[in-house]
Amino acid sequence: MTMEQESTPSDVPGGDCTPTRMAAPPPPDPQFVLRGTQSAVHALHFCGGAQGQGHPLLLSGSLSGLVHIWSLQTRRAVATLDGHEGQCVTWLQTLPQGHQLLSQGRDLKLCLWDLAEGRNAVVDSVRLESIGFCRGSVLARGHQHWTLAVPGRGSDEANSSPRPLLLAGYEDGSVALWDVSERKVCSRIACHTEPVMALDFDSQKARGVSGSAEKALAVWSLDEQQALQALRTQELTNPGIADVKIRPDRKILATAGWDHRIRVFHWWTMKPLAVLAFHSATVHCVAFATDGLLAAGSRDQRISVWSLYPRT
Amino acid sequence: MAVFDTPEEAFGVLRPVCVQLTKTQTVENVERLQAQLQAVSDSALQELQQYILFPLRFTLKAPGPKRERLIQSVVECLTFVLSSTCVKEQELLQELFSELSACLYSPNSQKPAAVSEELKLAVIQGLSTLMHSAYGDILVTFYEPSILPRLGFAVSLLLGLAEQEKSKQIKIAALKCLQVLLFQCDCEDHPRSLDELEQKQLGDLFAAFLPGISTALTRVITGDFKQGHSIVVSSLQIFYKTVGFVMADEQLRRLSKVQAKPAVEHRVAELMVHREADWVKNTSDKLTILIKKIIECVSVHPHWKVRLELIDLVEALLVKCSQSLVESAGPLLKALVSLVNDESSEVQAHCSKALRHFADQKVVVGNRAFADILSENLHSLATSLPRLMNSQDDQGKFSTLSLLLGYLKLLGPRVNFVLNSVSHLQRLSKALIQVLELDVADIKVVEERRWNSGHLSASPRTSAAGPRRQIQRRYFRFFTDERVFLLLRQVCQLLGFYGNLYLLVDHFLELYHESVVYRKQAAMILNELVAGAAGLEVENLHEKHTETSPEELREIVTSILEEYTSQENWYLVTCIKAEEMGEELTVKQSGLQAITSGAHTCQVSSFLAFSNPSPTICSMNSNIWQICIQLEGIGHFAYALGKDFRLLLMSALYPVLEKAGDQTLLISQAAASAMMDICHACGYDSLQHLINQNSDYLVNGISLNLRHLSLHPHTPKVLEVMLQNSDASLLPLVADVVQDVLATLDQFYDKRATSFVSVLHALLAALARWFPDTGNLGQLREQSVGEEGSHLSQRLATLEEGLENTTTAEDIEQFLLNYLKEKDVADGNVSDFDNEEGLGCTGSVCGSSTVPQEPAPSLGSSDLALTRAPTHQR
Repeated sequence: MTMEQESTPSDVPGGDCTPTRMAAPPPPDPQFVLRGTQSAVHALHFCGGAQGQGHPLLLSGSLSGLVHIWSLQTRRAVATLDGHEGQCVTWLQTLPQGHQLLSQGRDLKLCLWDLAEGRNAVVDSVRLESIGFCRGSVLARGHQHWTLAVPGRGSDEANSSPRPLLLAGYEDGSVALWDVSERKVCSRIACHTEPVMALDFDSQKARGVSGSAEKALAVWSLDEQQALQALRTQELTNPGIADVKIRPDRKILATAGWDHRIRVFHWWTMKPLAVLAFHSATVHCVAFATDGLLAAGSRDQRISVWSLYPRT
Repeated sequence: MAVFDTPEEAFGVLRPVCVQLTKTQTVENVERLQAQLQAVSDSALQELQQYILFPLRFTLKAPGPKRERLIQSVVECLTFVLSSTCVKEQELLQELFSELSACLYSPNSQKPAAVSEELKLAVIQGLSTLMHSAYGDILVTFYEPSILPRLGFAVSLLLGLAEQEKSKQIKIAALKCLQVLLFQCDCEDHPRSLDELEQKQLGDLFAAFLPGISTALTRVITGDFKQGHSIVVSSLQIFYKTVGFVMADEQLRRLSKVQAKPAVEHRVAELMVHREADWVKNTSDKLTILIKKIIECVSVHPHWKVRLELIDLVEALLVKCSQSLVESAGPLLKALVSLVNDESSEVQAHCSKALRHFADQKVVVGNRAFADILSENLHSLATSLPRLMNSQDDQGKFSTLSLLLGYLKLLGPRVNFVLNSVSHLQRLSKALIQVLELDVADIKVVEERRWNSGHLSASPRTSAAGPRRQIQRRYFRFFTDERVFLLLRQVCQLLGFYGNLYLLVDHFLELYHESVVYRKQAAMILNELVAGAAGLEVENLHEKHTETSPEELREIVTSILEEYTSQENWYLVTCIKAEEMGEELTVKQSGLQAITSGAHTCQVSSFLAFSNPSPTICSMNSNIWQICIQLEGIGHFAYALGKDFRLLLMSALYPVLEKAGDQTLLISQAAASAMMDICHACGYDSLQHLINQNSDYLVNGISLNLRHLSLHPHTPKVLEVMLQNSDASLLPLVADVVQDVLATLDQFYDKRATSFVSVLHALLAALARWFPDTGNLGQLREQSVGEEGSHLSQRLATLEEGLENTTTAEDIEQFLLNYLKEKDVADGNVSDFDNEEGLGCTGSVCGSSTVPQEPAPSLGSSDLALTRAPTHQR
């Protein structure tokens, strides 16, 4: 089954019911908004800052195939990468040293960029087979050695855990755990009735969350026998989750909704904490920085950056 | 041109005249002798010195009363001879000295004889010439203990003349002569420097006169200001040279414990002083009193040369007598410090030179380091500062603050010792806050309105030469002298420069929070602290001082800026609400006109029935000043950070621009000058350039504030100003923000439509300005396409098209009619007739509203304004 972006319900969902506990303080505003991609934003990734190599950067991939590199200090684009022949960029990931960038595009290419010392050139690229929504995943295994999972035909979202295991979300609504070295499926559960659009996994608590085109988030866990178990589902007001990310400190998670909203949940209890209404079109992606900053990219061509429940 | 070169010839000529004079002592005879002397060469005169002097001395010594005129001419003649010859014999020197001094001796009074001024002057000159004509070796032996009584007489005579004479000429001559007698003459006739032993002898001798000299000179110095500065200057010189000589540490250190018995008669021995420890202690105590008197009087002397001399005095005494005059060190330093900010630049320069010298040399006064004394002084000044600021008049405040400034300059980084004491910091800040209180009763501040909402046309280039701005005139409650304000600013700047900036900023931010009463003053102080920390206008006396690093400074500035621009400190009530509410044009002055006449006190506001809660004139006035001060601060911060401030523009530019359009004249002026400052500091050519380059930051602020329009009613105004001041490079951002505007307009179309309509008008005007005609358009298009990509070129294509078919009023009317029909169709209440006609002729326009993603083929600019059709509003 292929899902077209345009087939999402076009009319804006009317009364979005904010959780009642949130009634007292008005919903926050974004800390700032990045403009100028000139096209819908489909991928976001924070990089740098921690290694003392200057100020943190935010990378954004757009529908027009460009990757913008934003300085969070000046809040301006410092560079633009063009390597996907005008096709949408769906996934961005820097390798641990921060000087190399992987970008996945709808042109069925996965490019490796060298960004060190101001360079921005494609040094390698991999041909992909899938044209779906599935994003790649990278597992770092020691210095200069990474394992890359790229979607093949039919799979939807990939994610890996410390032992060479791979989580994949499928368009039939199921999530599967693969043992990479033995090339077999360890466990597979059906979480959703609609295609899985995004998933994220907390390896410390061995819990994961997945979002799909339907009106619910699924939370599942991985037990010691490497079996997946559905824990619970969290009902949403409007259907369609384009992306889900757990904050690096494992306290909260954020979802990107087709209903133009970003939703924030408590990761352990799945209690809804906030509905961030700013964008005027579908939110395609969310990303957390190591310091907790949240960024969301939307079809309205803006990237909003939020500072939520700052850690003290 | 001597006529008689040889002694023989001269003798032949002079002999009859001398004989004549010896026989009959008349003025005529003396004059005849003097006339003859003119024609004799110096060498011949030297040979005949004794011979010529004889009749003259004989005349002086002859018993019986003499006419003053005669004595005067004799003394003048003697002086003439002495000025051309040398005295080579000890005995002659002593005798002449006695004979000359005796001319002014009156047997029955302490005072100099009551003789004519001319005679006094002649005698003084005679004595001076005599001392100059003495041979070097003879002169040194002249100062032996036995001369003490005679020398003492001459000294007291000269002091008396200097003190009591009316004639300025005599006073000056007497002081000059005194200098010669005390070996302080700086003319070339005394080239020989004294060796240690000679110095000690002279020191012992002069020690006997020290009490007399110092008290008499102190009386002269502290006398009437009108006596003329040169007298005071000479007196100061003699004072410090004598004290510095007699009390010199170097000499006192070498003095033996036991007094070597001088071989002199008993009477003289009694007069001799032995400078042992007790004597030094006593004398220094007494001198301290005199020095304090002198400093008190001289540091406020109206003539700058006198104050300049005071610096020399302080320097000499501190360098030479730091041990012996340890008690005076405090007052002396204080005097020096208070002159650091003297109004005369010479004094200032000399003073800072002296201070730098002290700071560099690490001079130790007594057992205490120079710096310890200073910190102690600063401690005590900080303690008394609040009281002094309360009680003193402007002049007093000025000198107190000068002193404070001086201490800060001198202590440099060590000022932290004082600041680290909580109680001292509190006292210091209390005093500053107290004295900086503004007078907010002036009604004009609230009253003055800015009526023309014109362009921000002024370019900083016009004032490029002097980047530092002049500050808006402020009125303070506790002083009126502008110099006091200047000093206060300097004090704060120095505190920021040397002090622990984190500590100070924390402290004053706390005060800023604490009460609205302190807020304005605290903000003023914070502004200057930051300016000082950046080293603007601060003269550094301490080379090793490390300045605040740019990162730290930026951090601090960011936090202050956040505070300033926060909702509760930036959006204050500055005028009566009715004016605020959109309809400015109709309401205009109605609120205030009633109270413009004769209303100059705060009480006025009480009978004005303002709505509840009513802002008083005072509180609005105070709010206006607070905003102005904060705006000024932002300007300062920009200067302090320079190009680094560009990073802060994302949070600072929007609030400043917003205030630039404020109704209150003062605020808009302050904001305009803050914008100028930012322009200069960040290196932008003009305000337009500044706005243009940072439009993305502005758009960010505008878009976020539009979400809370009730809190930020001026947001549309800012957008308008931004549109007026930017060029076509803004275009990519325009679509985005116009979306926001339209979305907000949907929400508030009943209340705020006017302000939004004017925004849209500004937008269209801007579009027309950016793409004036097709000729330029082609160029622009090429330029922009490269930068902005294909999306823009599409839009430009439609613009171009729209502009080519020059739109007439009828076209616009037709467009509107069509649009209304469209709207009706969308609402579903149309007749068949309308429907048909509408479809028939408005096909192209339909496109623009039914297919929002496609650019409209005609009326290009409407693409931006109307892609979001109002039908979506429900």
